[in-house]
Parts: sequence; C-alpha cells; structure tokens
Amino acid sequence: MVINDRESETRTPARPLIVIPAEARDPFSAVPAVPSVAPHECDLTRIAPGRPQAAGDVIVIKGRILDADLRPVRHALMEVWNANTHGRYSHSEDASSQAPLDPHFYGFGRVLTDDHGFYTLRTIKPGAYMARSDIGWWRPPHVHFSILGSGIRLVTQMYFPDEPLNTQDYIHMIIPELERSRVIAQVHDQHSFRFDIIVRGRYQTPLETTV
Amino acid sequence: MSNFDPPFTPEGTLGPFYPGVFALSGLPHNLNEIAPILAHRPAGQPVRIFGRFIDANRVGVPSLIVEIWQANTYGRYRHPLDQSALTLDPQFDGFARIRTSDDGSYSFSTIKPGAHPLRDGSTVMRAPHLRFTIFASGIDRLVTQIFFDDETLNSTDPVLNCIADPSVRDRLIARRVSEGEYAIDIVMRGEGETPFFDDWAR
Repeated sequence: MVINDRESETRTPARPLIVIPAEARDPFSAVPAVPSVAPHECDLTRIAPGRPQAAGDVIVIKGRILDADLRPVRHALMEVWNANTHGRYSHSEDASSQAPLDPHFYGFGRVLTDDHGFYTLRTIKPGAYMARSDIGWWRPPHVHFSILGSGIRLVTQMYFPDEPLNTQDYIHMIIPELERSRVIAQVHDQHSFRFDIIVRGRYQTPLETTV
Repeated sequence: MSNFDPPFTPEGTLGPFYPGVFALSGLPHNLNEIAPILAHRPAGQPVRIFGRFIDANRVGVPSLIVEIWQANTYGRYRHPLDQSALTLDPQFDGFARIRTSDDGSYSFSTIKPGAHPLRDGSTVMRAPHLRFTIFASGIDRLVTQIFFDDETLNSTDPVLNCIADPSVRDRLIARRVSEGEYAIDIVMRGEGETPFFDDWAR
C-alpha cells in the first residue's frame, strides 16, 4: 500500500487477505492463450518502423524471467510502458502534466520471452515527473512491466541505479528495504541495462511431496 | 524442496497510465468469443456477468483491469496441470481481460463454469466459480473468486467456507437477475468490503 496516494487510501482493502487452507488450494492459475506480437513492438523509440526516432536517450533493457523454481518462463507476454524523456506519458489521464508530449513517442511496447525466458527491449530513458505537487512528490525515472504467462502474473516497476529520487519515492520506498535492489536495473554499459525478474509461484503443485 | 526463497521481484501498482491499447486489444474481452463474426458455439449455458467496482467513498473505480479465468462447462481448465478426465472444449479457453468504464461498471459474457473436484481424484467439490485478478492505480494485484447464487455446492465449497461470517461470504456470490444474467459489485474497501485472497501463502 502506498501511504500518500489518494487512490490507494480508498481502494486498498482494509481487511486482511484471506489465506486459503493448503488442503483447499489447487494449482489452476490462469494459462491464457498469449497473442502474437510483431517484432517491431519491442522498440518503443519509434511509433512505427521507419518513423523518426523519439527525443532523449535510447536505452536497451535485456533480461530473463524465471519462475519460483528458477526455470525460464517461456513465451510470456511482457507489456512495457514509460514516460517520455520529459517525464510525460502519452496517456489521456496525464493531461495535467506541464511536461511536453513527444510526437514521436507513444511509450508502450510488447515483447514475448524467448525459448529460454530472455527478452530485449529498446526504449527512451524516461524523465522524472511530479506525481503530486501538493506534497512535492516526484517519481524517479522508471519503466512499468506487466508479465502474463503460463500460470504466472506480475506487475512491477523497474528503476535506474544512482537516481537520487529513488529514495524519496513513496512507491519505491514501500518495498521492503532488502528487496528494493531487485527492482533496480543493473548497468551493462552506458546505454544498456539488465533487468532479471523472478516471479513467485501461486499454489504450485508440490513436486517432491505428494498430497 | 528447499525452504529458501529466491530473490522474488516485488509486485507494484499498475499506476494511472497503463496503456488503454493493452487493455482493449490483443486479449479477449469475453470468454465465449474466439474471434468476431465467427460461427462457433462453446458448450454450456451462456451467461453475462455485470456490476461495478466501488471504492471506500462508494464511487466507481474507472480504468480498473480484471482478468477472468475459469473452468469450462464440464469443470475442466485449459491448464497443463488439470489432468482430469473431464472434457476439454476446443472452443473455450477460459480467459479474458476487461477494463471498467468511467463509472466503474463492467460486463462480460461467458459460459457458466462447471463444478469440479478440488484436485483429480478428490471427493471435495469446488462450486462453479470465476477467478478474478484485479489491477488498478493505487493497488497492487488482488485476487478473488465469484460464485453463483443458484448453485447448491456453494454451501460446501472449501474456498467459500474459508470465510467464517456468512454475510461476508455472500459478498462473493453473484445474484441471478434474469435468465443467464448475474450481477455482482466488488467493494474495494470500506463497508461491505469484498473478501480478497492471499494466493502467495506457503
């Protein structure tokens, strides 16, 4: 829960989540038919192939998705979105922002993980932006990830190392301290980052202990 | 199996700027459709489920994403771990993604799911139900299950009966409003709050 987020205050359940007793659990989490994704969809730096490149620094993000048993998550759908170099989303809900839109940047893309769970994306390094001026809350540069695959589901945000705003961001600081480094990309070189993801399993079938 | 947890990536909120194009394209919005204008007929009773997502101020929650997952009419999931002898329906996948309107309302069509044994060979039966995974700005992922008020198996369903208070249990039961039409509102917080489940428990 994010303490200083007005939506969170009215939407986060007040009652504790109900733990289903182990004997009443089954492993049937969603296995959706994943849609096909065109190769150019993993490149957010142009709104279509052949169009001009968006403003800002082009970065490459690569990584691997593993499940709770550290097996690669193959052919999962990754949906990725981020603000432009000025810190503005090309989303109708971001209309109050003073930062300019970039006509060459939509800021969303998709990619499927390969046979070994790897993915590669190209995007523009997002700018920071003011999330709430009344409390002076700035969001540090970050990239949103949604991962949908065979029995796994994760929505998270990736941060960049050495950004002073990281430690002042309510959404980042709500993550337990020991886990915060897991959402910070590793620098590969000046323009490329590595972001590996390990997705918790849900009521996984016991493999070695039989019920 | 080891009790050591790998460094799981923490979950986060969807935020306010999830691209509408992801919600509105690429994945089905109804569970009984494979493609537009295609003559197909998944087995079972067609039903429509509708209602609203409501916040603590009784205001509708717009742009909320719900992913729905369910068994087919025979009680079989299209899931590699569902090895039951129940019939798979080639015209039913059991998955859809929807997005609430500006007033927090939602609606989708599907086939009423069948009851199924808790696990293959189990004598414990799961009542017909829908599995909801919910994302929105301001919250992290929430999961719950929705039941039907005209199913006698509700009284013995092992998940519904995790909830001790019958009045709270009723908040997960959609009410039949007409033939094939069921209504249920989801209250995110406050009076009449919908029960949500912890699906990461060990």
